[in-house]
Amino acid sequence: MSDLIVVEHVGKRYQTSSGPIEALHDVSLAVGAGEFCTVIGPSGCGKSTLLGMLGGLVTADGGRVLVDGRPVSAPDPRRVATVFQEAGLFPWRTALENVEFGLELQGVPRERRRAVATELLGPLGLRDFAAKYPRELSGGMRQRVAIGRALAIDTQIILMDEPFGALDEQTRLLMGEWLLEIWRRTRKTVVFVTHSLHEALALSTRVVVMTARPGRIKRVLELPMPYPRAMESAEMVGLRATLWGEIRDESLRAMGER
Amino acid sequence: MRVRLLRAAILAVFLLAWEGVARAANPLLYVPPSAVLPALRRLLALDSYPDLLPSVLLTLREIAVAYALAIAAGLGCGFALGLNRVIGRAYAPIVGALYAVPAVVWYPSLMLFFGLDAASKIAFGFLLGFFPITLAVLAGIRQVNPHMLAVARAFGARPLTVFVKVMIPAMMFTLVGGLRTGLALSVIGVIVGEVLGSKAGMGALINHAYGLFRTADYVALVVVTLVLIVGSDAVAGLVERRAERWSD
Amino acid sequence: MSRDTLRVRLLQIVSVVALLAIWEGVARLGWVDPLFVPAPSAVVGAFGRIGRSALAGLGDTLLKTAVAYVLSVVLGVALGVAIGSVRALREVLSPFVIAVYGMPKILVLPWIVLILGFGTAPAIVYGTIHGLFPILVLVMGGVRDVDRTLVTVARAFGASTWQLYWKVLLPAIVPTVLAGMRLGIVFCLLGVLIVEMFAGVRGMGYVMGSLANGFQAPELFAATALVSAASIAIVLGLDALNDRLSHWRG
Repeated sequence: MSDLIVVEHVGKRYQTSSGPIEALHDVSLAVGAGEFCTVIGPSGCGKSTLLGMLGGLVTADGGRVLVDGRPVSAPDPRRVATVFQEAGLFPWRTALENVEFGLELQGVPRERRRAVATELLGPLGLRDFAAKYPRELSGGMRQRVAIGRALAIDTQIILMDEPFGALDEQTRLLMGEWLLEIWRRTRKTVVFVTHSLHEALALSTRVVVMTARPGRIKRVLELPMPYPRAMESAEMVGLRATLWGEIRDESLRAMGER
Repeated sequence: MRVRLLRAAILAVFLLAWEGVARAANPLLYVPPSAVLPALRRLLALDSYPDLLPSVLLTLREIAVAYALAIAAGLGCGFALGLNRVIGRAYAPIVGALYAVPAVVWYPSLMLFFGLDAASKIAFGFLLGFFPITLAVLAGIRQVNPHMLAVARAFGARPLTVFVKVMIPAMMFTLVGGLRTGLALSVIGVIVGEVLGSKAGMGALINHAYGLFRTADYVALVVVTLVLIVGSDAVAGLVERRAERWSD
Repeated sequence: MSRDTLRVRLLQIVSVVALLAIWEGVARLGWVDPLFVPAPSAVVGAFGRIGRSALAGLGDTLLKTAVAYVLSVVLGVALGVAIGSVRALREVLSPFVIAVYGMPKILVLPWIVLILGFGTAPAIVYGTIHGLFPILVLVMGGVRDVDRTLVTVARAFGASTWQLYWKVLLPAIVPTVLAGMRLGIVFCLLGVLIVEMFAGVRGMGYVMGSLANGFQAPELFAATALVSAASIAIVLGLDALNDRLSHWRG
């Protein structure tokens, strides 16, 4: 079975006021259907840029990005949905209306999208908050709405750019468990960007470690263990040490650059 | 660079279009740009309006007095309302409500009371400049961090010292912004007053040219007035930047 | 009502009553020339005398203002969105917009009257110009300040340009548009009144100007009070409307 997402030798250069910056250098990656692939690395390593390329929001300089065999040139809401770090909910829409957003853009008639969104609220744990506005919701709730919005358009692939980055640790842990539950139920393909070692190890089937800028793929770890993962097991502890070993140097490099 | 070229191009196209349309339709009424320069020359040579200089000086004097009064009353009222909570809560809404009234409704009453002389223009300029200054003082006081004041008092500073050394610098930015707006509005007040009815000053000259259909002279007078206005705002801007340097 | 609020209300009422009483007293004692400063009682009497013509004048002014207002809002929002949302236009045109915005429009009024004559047309045109620029500048700023994330999200979900404007940009700038509308009404009314005073044949500006020329102080005060009250009422009304429509902002 060919991979669902294929990235071949892409690079990205940005022009800034202090000269050109190479965000990505010769990155190649493949993600199979149904995988939970985490991309982890120090700040500035280009992981968000890479995700942007998969989502059609950023164009690669050189190389190819293929989703489902087709090159990516623009956002494709029929195949790929994105969740951002700031939930990006529209403040003038209720939680329900926010979840409906993608469906609305695609011209789905009102009753149908209302039904789809309402049904999603159950697993999102937001059934009592359908009519609330974003300012009335906590950070965790807002991210759940954002994830619901992505789930509503029922794409095969969901991209997540540090979706839990702005949440406190306890909420993060709960959200991680909840996300895992949703993923296993819907069998979507997830590409998940994070800083958190815990999230990478607890959630993914594969972890991609990136170097400091210019971002390259340093190492790919396969995690075939079953869920839910016993994070205190010897195996996981060892993996954590390995992962940190790979990342630590890169983090130091990234900090030194500043 | 390209942006600047585009702007210059837009300006050029605009002037050319104006020139064309004015000439074709009614050059006397629509005053093509080519007619403005000779009119300006005549004006600055004191040819078309020999009493240009006294008029400019009169207008500037009216603005100065109106603004000075606006500053005095604006600061006085602003601090009186801002520093005393009960008085502030009582009268600040009234000030706000009066601000919602288009200032020009007061002008006929001012003209009745002061006549057509400078006094009514000064009064009107004062009225217009007064409100933004008062409101700026109120806003400035409101945004001062009460912790700063508490800390100063905890160190034993007397109320006057707290006021001068803590409160004023903390609200400097808002205050200076309000003073600058107040100047702009005082200027507009004086000019509106003059245009609506006066015997002397730039506005009176403008009115005169308008009444006699001397459109080219009228445009020249407007240009000179604009220069005055931009000049006064530029001076205000310089003072504002100087004041910002102090407060740091 | 809390103790403080009570004190505040008392102070307001007492000051207004005291002011009116002193004013009436001073006028009755002859300390001021009744030609210039009429007693409050005279002003109240004057209300009756000019009542009908004043209301007619007010109606005329408000009608012109309404037309100018609709024009300023429509043009201001349309141009503000158009210029503000296209980066190239915004960069190139901003200085021009700011320059014209900062220029006292009164300077072009004589010219407008020369072209359009006296009466309704110059009032509406000038009123529109007066109200247009504050709204335009405000909306331009509002569009520029729309949260970038919202635009990115919409694009990520495949929004077309039309959808971006309709479903993201316009709802996002509603608070700014409301603020502009609140500002614009005062400016439009101001512009219309100025034209009526300068070159009017009808309307409150003209009425007040005539009363001033005729040294009819009580009637003039009454008319001024009437226009002021109307203006305050309109602004309060718009504020209430603003509050109602902004419930999602908290």
